[in-house]
Amino acid sequence: MKPAPFTYHRPETLDDALDLLATHGDDAKVLAGGQSLIPLMALRMGRPGHVVDIGRIAGLDSITVGADGDVTIGALVRHEQTRTSTDVATHAPLIATAMPWVAHRAIRSRGTVLGSIAHGDPAAEMPAVVLATEPTLIARSSSGVREIAAADFFHGYLDTALRADEILTEVRFPAWSPNAVGAVVEVARRHGDYALVGMAAMLTVDGDTISSAALAYFGAASTAIRVPDAEQALVGATVSADTFDAAAAIVSAELSPPPDIHASAAYRRHLAGVLTVRGLSAATAEIGADA
Amino acid sequence: MTADRLAAEESAGGSIVDVALTVNGRSAPVRVEARRTLSDVLREDVGLTGTHLGCEHGVCGACTVLIDGQPARSCLLLAAQVDGAEITTIEGLAEPDGTLHPIQQAMMQAHGFQCAFCAPGFLMSAVALLADNPQPTRSEIREELAGNLCRCTGYQSIVDGVEIAVRRMNGDSSGGSS
Amino acid sequence: MTAPGHPQARENRSGLVGQSVRRVEDDRLLTGAGVFVADRNPDGVLHAVFVRSPLAHARITSIDVAAARRAPGVVAVITGAEMAEMTHPFPPFLMLPGLYTPLFHALSADKVRLVGDPVAVVIAESRYLAEDAADLVDVDYEPLPTVASIAEALSPTSEPLWAKAGGNVMMDHTDTFGDVDAVFAAADRVITERFDCPRQSNQPMETRGSLVEVDAATGHLTIHNATQSSHLLRWAVAALTGKQRTTTALKRFITNKQRRRAFFAGAKQFVGTNRDGLKEQDNAGPLAQLKKDRSFLGHMNKIAVGLLGKDDYPTVKAQDIGGGFGSKGPVAREDIALAAAATSLGRSVKWIEDRTENLMDGGQAREESLTVSIAVDSDGTFRAMRVDLIIDQGAYPGFPIGAPLITKMMKVMFPGAYRWDAFEIRSRVVATNKGRYIPYRGPWANETWARERMIDVVADALGMTPAEIRLHNMIGADDLPTSMVTGPSIDETMSTKQTLERALELIDMDQFERDRVAAAASGRRLGLGIACYHEAAPGPPEFWDCIHPGTGMLTPEEAHTTVEADGSVLVYTQQMPHGQSHETTYAQVAADELGVRIDDVTIVSGDTDRTPFGFAGTGGSRGGPIGAGAVRTTAREVRRQLIESAAGMLEASPDDIEIVDGNIHVAGVPARGVTVAEVARRAADDGASGDLHGAPFEVADVYNGAGDGGWSVATHVCIVDIDLGTGLVTFPRYLVVEDCGPIIHPAVVDGQVRGGVAQGIGAVLYERTTYDEDANLQAATYMDYLVPTAMEIPEIEVHHLETLSPGENDFRGVGEGGMVGAPAAITNAIEHALGARVTTQYLPPTKILELAGVIVPG
Repeated sequence: MKPAPFTYHRPETLDDALDLLATHGDDAKVLAGGQSLIPLMALRMGRPGHVVDIGRIAGLDSITVGADGDVTIGALVRHEQTRTSTDVATHAPLIATAMPWVAHRAIRSRGTVLGSIAHGDPAAEMPAVVLATEPTLIARSSSGVREIAAADFFHGYLDTALRADEILTEVRFPAWSPNAVGAVVEVARRHGDYALVGMAAMLTVDGDTISSAALAYFGAASTAIRVPDAEQALVGATVSADTFDAAAAIVSAELSPPPDIHASAAYRRHLAGVLTVRGLSAATAEIGADA
Repeated sequence: MTADRLAAEESAGGSIVDVALTVNGRSAPVRVEARRTLSDVLREDVGLTGTHLGCEHGVCGACTVLIDGQPARSCLLLAAQVDGAEITTIEGLAEPDGTLHPIQQAMMQAHGFQCAFCAPGFLMSAVALLADNPQPTRSEIREELAGNLCRCTGYQSIVDGVEIAVRRMNGDSSGGSS
Repeated sequence: MTAPGHPQARENRSGLVGQSVRRVEDDRLLTGAGVFVADRNPDGVLHAVFVRSPLAHARITSIDVAAARRAPGVVAVITGAEMAEMTHPFPPFLMLPGLYTPLFHALSADKVRLVGDPVAVVIAESRYLAEDAADLVDVDYEPLPTVASIAEALSPTSEPLWAKAGGNVMMDHTDTFGDVDAVFAAADRVITERFDCPRQSNQPMETRGSLVEVDAATGHLTIHNATQSSHLLRWAVAALTGKQRTTTALKRFITNKQRRRAFFAGAKQFVGTNRDGLKEQDNAGPLAQLKKDRSFLGHMNKIAVGLLGKDDYPTVKAQDIGGGFGSKGPVAREDIALAAAATSLGRSVKWIEDRTENLMDGGQAREESLTVSIAVDSDGTFRAMRVDLIIDQGAYPGFPIGAPLITKMMKVMFPGAYRWDAFEIRSRVVATNKGRYIPYRGPWANETWARERMIDVVADALGMTPAEIRLHNMIGADDLPTSMVTGPSIDETMSTKQTLERALELIDMDQFERDRVAAAASGRRLGLGIACYHEAAPGPPEFWDCIHPGTGMLTPEEAHTTVEADGSVLVYTQQMPHGQSHETTYAQVAADELGVRIDDVTIVSGDTDRTPFGFAGTGGSRGGPIGAGAVRTTAREVRRQLIESAAGMLEASPDDIEIVDGNIHVAGVPARGVTVAEVARRAADDGASGDLHGAPFEVADVYNGAGDGGWSVATHVCIVDIDLGTGLVTFPRYLVVEDCGPIIHPAVVDGQVRGGVAQGIGAVLYERTTYDEDANLQAATYMDYLVPTAMEIPEIEVHHLETLSPGENDFRGVGEGGMVGAPAAITNAIEHALGARVTTQYLPPTKILELAGVIVPG
């Protein structure tokens, strides 16, 4: 279980990295934390001819809060960094909420948040957090900069809007509304495993009335996925167990998750409904919901 | 490393890189294939075989080491990625005079392990945990150690060992009873 | 709590035995100074990678290794056909009635029978380079229909894996005890249920591995190997590699006087000590084998003659081993291929199995179908039991021990600790295109699972509680002496009923019922499960002959205890520790027996040049009863000799002399003593030198445990808490009341019990070696084969009874029981919680919610 040979590049600047990607295209892979790429290479399921290690590029490892409260996360920010960041806890709390679910400490200290997003595993937490919070994803290539909306980013199983010559350099999360609440819940076979199903929820609530809702599921389709009908059922409704049950019923009816050796499709569909109620209850717990 | 291996590696088609590691406080420069994982470099090129390989795909945690103080799976890193880093392995836990680290003493007291193949990873994870959180609860210990698999013990004795280490490191030199 | 009336009060209770002393092993294992096989990297060592089949069943039409041989760093590529020229096939080992054992080589040449079947081995300068070259080996396969399940294997139209087997049923045999038909006819009710246990895997944290070092001058092989039985591996490599012409071998044997003499002396000794066992061998097994495949006679002949013609057998050495749980007991095909490759190259070669290889064919277990019928009277009295057992042994039989012998263990143990008038079991073994079925911690354990499951089914049908029906039928002190319906005698060490009674005292049933009601109100279900068992550890003297006549001769075990000239004590054992703490526990036993300090004792294991012969290695919960018995017996004799020697120096009668902390003196007069070292030095100066190790004091003896009885027993009780939203199962309480007799080291015993329970929890809730309908392995990484973590395994309470046995050495085994009891207790608790019949051992969240009626089975 050892990686096949490759040409190793460790550019010092982003431009150099982008030039390498422009030159080698599909035969190159970007290496940041490596927590998804290296095992694939060790299993020889991935055999890039060129590995572009961006780990030494300065300026990609910061979490910055903008003037209006938006939070920008760079390509080399590790999961653990966001778990312990007070800026993230204050301005992008859904990321902080997701972090304890992400793998284990020793993975979080190397794995990058943007790497997880760019990898696009449908059972991982961060793609769902992206769908729920709708940040802007900034991709750079030697031919320029592209801003990609969250809704346009995930294309299919391990397939995203990123081109082979692009690096996802920053993700800019919009300011967290004072009325916003959120939760991330999931069920995995074992602690730290990829989820059987999970959900990231973000609501804005005025009094006890839901004014907006984003429900993003992971482990429930070939990508992380939102369920707009359930969200619409929430908007305008009051925070209550009945409201959540109604949303859950829509979720279970509309999702058609794939079966695998760990859980059946019926189980996942049922679980998505259960997690809808539990996630919404957790998100609104401090609002005094009776859910 | 034999000359035959080096010659073959040079014709294998991948990059050869110079990596300057500092392992347990000692400089350990190596010249290796870029594809070599940190775990293999530690074990075969630096000669520190205390770090073990249980799965080589990042699940079992036996290969956990500290990189600049942070726990990491050495099987999920190329050595080239950590060029210049300070690495701590199980061999570096004891004091230079041989005095064992409190976690090592505590695990002895708790009879924490059986075959102990997994022990290097658990010890490094426990050291990282106690650095992050010097007074973890029993359930926090379980949660943090969930990244390391043990097949022998059912974990209870390992959790006991960490609790003893917590008490020792917080001034109770007896560690209390296990 | 001890049984009263035993004359031998624990003479060593004030000593080291019974204390959780610091583990000797930890000094190296907790500092990174252990030496596991993968840690050995001698200069110039080559690395092997096996080329493995991607198909489950196929004919090999061609294999092209030219490109691989040209790849950088490659020293050799050996194909299956080439390997067959260098090695003998694995022969049938235990020929049981109704069994056919196919012969197979280290590598496959014509046909592959599972995903992962090795067809070639690449030897290169590094593992990386060897993997590169393995990718270049071009094999053409012609796919064959696959056999992926017991049901398919039973079908007469399934594609036979083994041409000479006449189908995929490899064994079919029925054992009957008592007039089963009559008892069934007379009973009030007959209740039948089928239980299926999916495939699991042992999964030690260290995979298999071997380093074969070749002495450039002599060609002698030194094999460092993660083996549970070093002598077995030594003989297997000697037997199967170094293939030579029979005439050459015979000539070498005849012209080598020394070897000839040694052979005949050894044979005479073997026949002498095993006369009874050899007499009990019947011919039904060999005849069954002969009927299907005569070729084994020729191969076994060549193997035997080849062994005679060899001047040099390999040395096997093992130091630290990262667990095994049975998987490192069998001799692997890779072990043989590696030794043959190293021999042919004259260079040292290393193979460390990777985790995917380990999941493919490093050992799998437990895939069994068990249909159980119980004839019972209306008052709940068990009358008779009938079992239809089918084991899926996968593609290649375990060597030397696999499914066939395990059917025999299940046969004997199935009735459990209960009274029966009659019992019958039909045992079938089938071949499928899956990994090797091998022993896994308590290899017979599914008899306990199916029986204890079935007992709950019967209790439910009769309106009794699980505890009531067990207590009603269980053999208790009033029944003694008695024997199991399957033969083995039962004495007071079979204290299962006391463990059940104690367990019931420890559970507050009223509180449980209140908790149950409260949980139900919040979408949870609580259940309580009980499982009881006894295991032969070592069992009564006749136990192994009840398994199969003649196998009893494998029981005895030899130890050597020496005192060196410097006073240090060495204990040599054939045991092969791999986590069980022998270096500590055997030192406790020897130190107590001798009267020396524990630090003065060193346990020597794993090196076949130094340790006594024995094929058993470590396994079968024998380390406490048989292995430690041999240590104690030899240490006791050494003590006698030390005292006798010292008596002259002390001018005292040996009867008045004691040894305390290495000081030999007249009792009560320690100041006027001599040390063990002084006595040993004087004996050495006087020329005393043992034949085996050259030590001034040296005792070798064989211990067989005969007469010492020895059932190890336990009751497991667990409470499960099931979330009906998620199907997740947690354990508010898990308790074990066990009785393995006097305990050498309490922390070691608790660790063995907890580790076994953890594997049982894994088996029920997390672990499955999943194959698809075409026998493709679906769980080939640790992302998919789910070994539970510290978050899934609960705190496990362990309570002890310490019933003494009438024998001389009454330590009893404890290595396997945790795994034997846990699946039954957990599945019983889940059935209780859900009120739905549980007939499979694997209950992932999906299955839980299906049973609960929350979701529809898909």
